[in-house]
Amino acid sequence: MTPERWQQISRIFKSAISLDGEARDAYVANQCGADDSLRAEVDKLIASHKQADDENFIGGQAAEDAVGLLVEDDEFRTASLNKGQQLGSYLILDNIGAGGMGEVYLARDSRLDRTVALKVLPADIASDKRRMQRFRQEAKVASSLNQPNILTIFEFGEVNGLTFLATEFIDGETLRQHLRAKRIKLSEIINISIQVLAALDAAHEAHIVHRDIKPENVMIRRRDHVVKVLDFGLAKLAEKRTTMQAEESEAATAFKTTPGMVMGTINYMSPEQAQAGMVDERTDIWSTGVMIYEMIAGVVPFEGATTSHTIVQILEKDPAPLSKVAEAPPELDRIVMKAIAKDPDERYQTARDMLIDLRSLQKQLDLRAELDRTSSPNAAVVADRRVPQKRRTLFIVVAGMLLVTAGIFAVNIWRSRERRNALVSQPAAAPVATEERTLTYWITVQKYKDGKPFEPPFPVAGEINFESTYQVRVHVSSPQPGHLYIFNEGPPTESAATEFVVTFPSTTANNNSSVIEAGQVVQIPETSWLVFDKERGVETLWVVFSKDEILQLETARKFATPKTKNLIADVAQNRMVQDFLTANSVTKPSVDKGRSLTTLKAPGSLLVYAIRLEHH
Amino acid sequence: MTRKTQPHQITELLAEWREGNQSALDELYPLVYDELHRLARRYMSRERKGHTLQTTALINEAYVRLVDQKNVQWANRSHFFAISAQIMRRILIDHARRYGYAKRGGGAKQVSLEEVAAIVPEQGRELIRLDEALKSLAERDPRRSQVVELRYFGGLNNEEIAGVLNVSQNTVTRDWNMARAWLYQQLSENSAN
Repeated sequence: MTPERWQQISRIFKSAISLDGEARDAYVANQCGADDSLRAEVDKLIASHKQADDENFIGGQAAEDAVGLLVEDDEFRTASLNKGQQLGSYLILDNIGAGGMGEVYLARDSRLDRTVALKVLPADIASDKRRMQRFRQEAKVASSLNQPNILTIFEFGEVNGLTFLATEFIDGETLRQHLRAKRIKLSEIINISIQVLAALDAAHEAHIVHRDIKPENVMIRRRDHVVKVLDFGLAKLAEKRTTMQAEESEAATAFKTTPGMVMGTINYMSPEQAQAGMVDERTDIWSTGVMIYEMIAGVVPFEGATTSHTIVQILEKDPAPLSKVAEAPPELDRIVMKAIAKDPDERYQTARDMLIDLRSLQKQLDLRAELDRTSSPNAAVVADRRVPQKRRTLFIVVAGMLLVTAGIFAVNIWRSRERRNALVSQPAAAPVATEERTLTYWITVQKYKDGKPFEPPFPVAGEINFESTYQVRVHVSSPQPGHLYIFNEGPPTESAATEFVVTFPSTTANNNSSVIEAGQVVQIPETSWLVFDKERGVETLWVVFSKDEILQLETARKFATPKTKNLIADVAQNRMVQDFLTANSVTKPSVDKGRSLTTLKAPGSLLVYAIRLEHH
Repeated sequence: MTRKTQPHQITELLAEWREGNQSALDELYPLVYDELHRLARRYMSRERKGHTLQTTALINEAYVRLVDQKNVQWANRSHFFAISAQIMRRILIDHARRYGYAKRGGGAKQVSLEEVAAIVPEQGRELIRLDEALKSLAERDPRRSQVVELRYFGGLNNEEIAGVLNVSQNTVTRDWNMARAWLYQQLSENSAN
C-alpha cells in the first residue's frame, strides 16, 4: 500500500465513522467512486472499528500490568506460590523474593522439620534436561564440599512440574543490600573478601567455576556475619537463556541492552566472558576483584551508560586506582588490580593465592591497629632479657602437674617486644605480621590395670593411641592472656548436625568465664578424668584461643547448662559452633611436639585446633 | 553506593534526543528504566494487594526525580513519557516472549505451570501479535502508532498524548480510532490464517 493510498483510506475512514447508517454508506460510496478495492478497504476498516469498539479492543491499559512486571522483571520470576501452599513436603511460609534466578521462598520441610529456602526455577530453564543435569551435579558437588562459606543444598525436587531446590536458609542480607544500607569498614571488606575466596578456593579445587560472582550472590548471615556464596553452577545454566533472549528480542539489540536481565549483572563480567571466550577459575578471580573494588570505592570499576559501553570498558579501560577513589592501603590496591588484570595470565592464578595475600594483609592491619592501641608513650616497658634457650627443659620440670609456666611467659614477652621494636623502627620495610597466638597442651595419662590405677600418672605431649582402659586429663595453658573455649565434639550421628559439649568454661570451671590469665593452666576435666568408652574411636577436643571474646561462642555456650550436662541443646547453635570451627581451622597452627608437651602457634589473634584422642 | 544519576545528565540527553540524536535514546533508556524499576518496587512493597498503581503517577514521579527541575521544558516531559511508554511496551512484550508464547520460532513450547501460572497464554500471544502489528503501523504511520503506544502501554490519556505529540486532542482521538481499527483488522486477519 502506497502512502497516498493510506492517507486516502484514513481520510475517508475518519469522516465516515462520525456519520451513521445510510449517511455513512452514501459518504463512502461518494468518496470511493468506481474504486472498488478502495471501497472494500474502507468498509473493512469501518467494520473493524465497530468490532473493536464492541470488544473494547486494547481499551484497557497494559501499562498497569507492565508496572507489575517491572517489579518482577529482574527476578526472572516464574509462577508464584502463595503462603500456606504446600509443595511436596514443603509448606510455603513466605516469599523472600530476591535471588539470582527464580523466585525464592521461605519454607518448612515437614519431613525433617527444618526451615529451608526454596528456589523455584523458571520453567524454560528447568525444561532443559541436559543443562539441568549438569547444574544439579555442579551444585551438589559444591554443596558437598561442606565449606562453611558455600550455601548448602539439601534437595533438588520437582512437584507439579515446578523444579526447585531446597537450600539452607540464611537469615541475613545480600552483600548488595549490605552495601546499600551502611558504610562498610575496611576490616569488614577484607573479612568478607576472605570468606568469598575461601568458598571459591574450595570450589575451584573441585573444578567448579562459579561464573557469576556479584554482591547479589553473596549473603551475610545476620547473627555471626558468616558469608555464604550462593548459586554455584547456576550461571552456566542461565547462559543459554541469555543468548536466546538477546536473539529473540529485537528491541534488545535496538537498545543494546535487555533491561533487568543483563543490567546490573554485566559489571562483574570478566573480559573473557564478555567476549564469550573460554571461562575458567580466573573469571571468578576477576569478578571477586570487581566486587572488592566496589566495596572499597562505592562504585564498580567498569560502568557505562549502556551494556555495550560497559563491555568496552571491561575490555579496554584501566580502572582508576583505588588509592585515587578511596582510602585504601596500597597493598589492597595491588591485590585488587592484580585480580582485575585484563589478561587472565596476569591475574592471580588461584583463589588461594589471592586468599593468602588478603589474609596476610589482614594480619598486618590487625597488627597495626594493635600497635596503635598499645604504643602509648608512657607505657613503662621493662625489657626482660633472659634468653630462653632451655625452654623445653623448663617445661619438663613443670609438665607433670599444674605449675604456672612462668618461663614461657617471660620468653614470649621478650620475643614479642623484640619483634615489635623491630617493626616500629622500620615500619615501611616489608611489614611481616608478627602477632600470633601461642598455646601449649599436654595430656596426663593414668594407666589402669584390673580396674585399679597402675603406675603413677605421666604426661605425654599429645596424640598417642590410648588404651581404652586409660584415663586422661588434658592440660592447656598459654603465656598470653585471652579467651579460651574448649568443645568436645560428639560422635558423628545419622542426623547431619554435630553436637558439642562445652568442656570449658563451665559453671564449675573458671567461674563460667572464658577469660584466662597468662600462664594459667586449665585442666580438662576440672576435677575427674576422661574415660574412653569401649568402642574404639576418636575423641575430638576443639580448642579455641582468642585474643578477643568470640560472641558466637559466648552465645552458643549459653545453651549448654549443667542440666544438659554442658551439651549445647540447640541445633542452630551447634551448627554455628561447627561453622565457626570449620571456618577458622583452615589455617592450621604450627605444631611443635616436645617430649611431654605440644606448642601450637597460629598467626593473628585466633588459634583453633582440634586435639584428637584416639583410643582402641 | 548506588550510582546517582545526575538530573542534568537526563535533561541533556532528552534535549539531544529531541534534536534527533538517536544514540541519546540508547543512553536514556537504561537510566529511565532503572528509575521506574526502583519506584515501582518501592510502591509495590508499600501498596496493599489489590491496589493498582497508577502508571502515570509512577512515570511522573520518575520524571520529577530524574529531570533537572530548574530547567524544565514541556517538550522534555513529553519525551520522557514517550520513553516510559516504550519501556512499558518492551517489558510486556519481553515478558510474553519469555514464556514461550511467541508466534514465531515454531516450537514455542507450552510450559505446564498448572494453576500457578500467572499469565494467560492467550493474552501473551495476542500481545506479541499486537506488538508486531504496531511495528508495521509505525512504518507507514509513525504518529498513529505512537498514539497507541502512549495510550495503551504508557497509560496516558488523550490530553496528555496531545501534549506529548504536540497535536490537538481531536487529532489524537481520530488517530486512535484509525489505528485501533487497523490493528484490530490485522490481528483478526492473522489469527484467521
